[in-house]
Amino acid sequence: MTTYRPEFEAALRLFARVSEAMHELGFQRPILVGGAAAEFYSQSAINTGDFDLCTPRQEALEAEMQKVGFVKPSGAGQMTKGWIHPELRLGFEVVADIPMDGGYDRDTLALIENFTNEGAFVVISVEDLIADRMGQYASGTSRDRLRQAQTLYRLHPSLDKVYLDRRIREETINDYGIEALES
Amino acid sequence: MIMASKRLKAEEKWTGRRVDFPVFSDALSKRRAELGNPELARNSGKNRTESKKALLKAIKDAGGNW
Repeated sequence: MTTYRPEFEAALRLFARVSEAMHELGFQRPILVGGAAAEFYSQSAINTGDFDLCTPRQEALEAEMQKVGFVKPSGAGQMTKGWIHPELRLGFEVVADIPMDGGYDRDTLALIENFTNEGAFVVISVEDLIADRMGQYASGTSRDRLRQAQTLYRLHPSLDKVYLDRRIREETINDYGIEALES
Repeated sequence: MIMASKRLKAEEKWTGRRVDFPVFSDALSKRRAELGNPELARNSGKNRTESKKALLKAIKDAGGNW
């Protein structure tokens, strides 16, 4: 059986811990977006370099991250807004308050339960992730994203196609729709 | 008690999808196998922000192999 790579599972466990801590404080859990969300939805068919997170409570989240061992990098790494975990050798970075400038439907966010007994965590929907890849493809700056989007689409046959089509059209200013994934 | 109450309230407010990880992971494994375990094209990395480049370098310097 295919599984996630161990480094990614370790990162997910840390993400679950800090997500649960935020939840305990009465804040919304941070949202996993970007390449790590693509790794989550592909079961490590792509290996990402770090975790991109969205939260309007950056200060509180980073305080919780420090409690589980994250530190600011030294040396050239001082330029980053991200944090690294020296023992697990992985990085987390808050990239925005909300995903995709708020263009997504919050009710499609996925609360992942029973991954670990340390807490649940939230991941952007696979539809929005695909739409995000298509938006980058349509912008002409990331032509490699089309194949990512097509593979994610094939991996999740039960996704909401109506919502996906709408979100692709929004992210690509109507240049593309769901048919671009089926070619 | 206060924390438990806050937590219960937040859970009641969740209106998004709920995903049971073992069920999700098992279904995804089967789907991947059906499709011949496709790989996703890796990002070229040319659109990374300076912050992202610095973070990835720091991870690499720490011995990370991502």
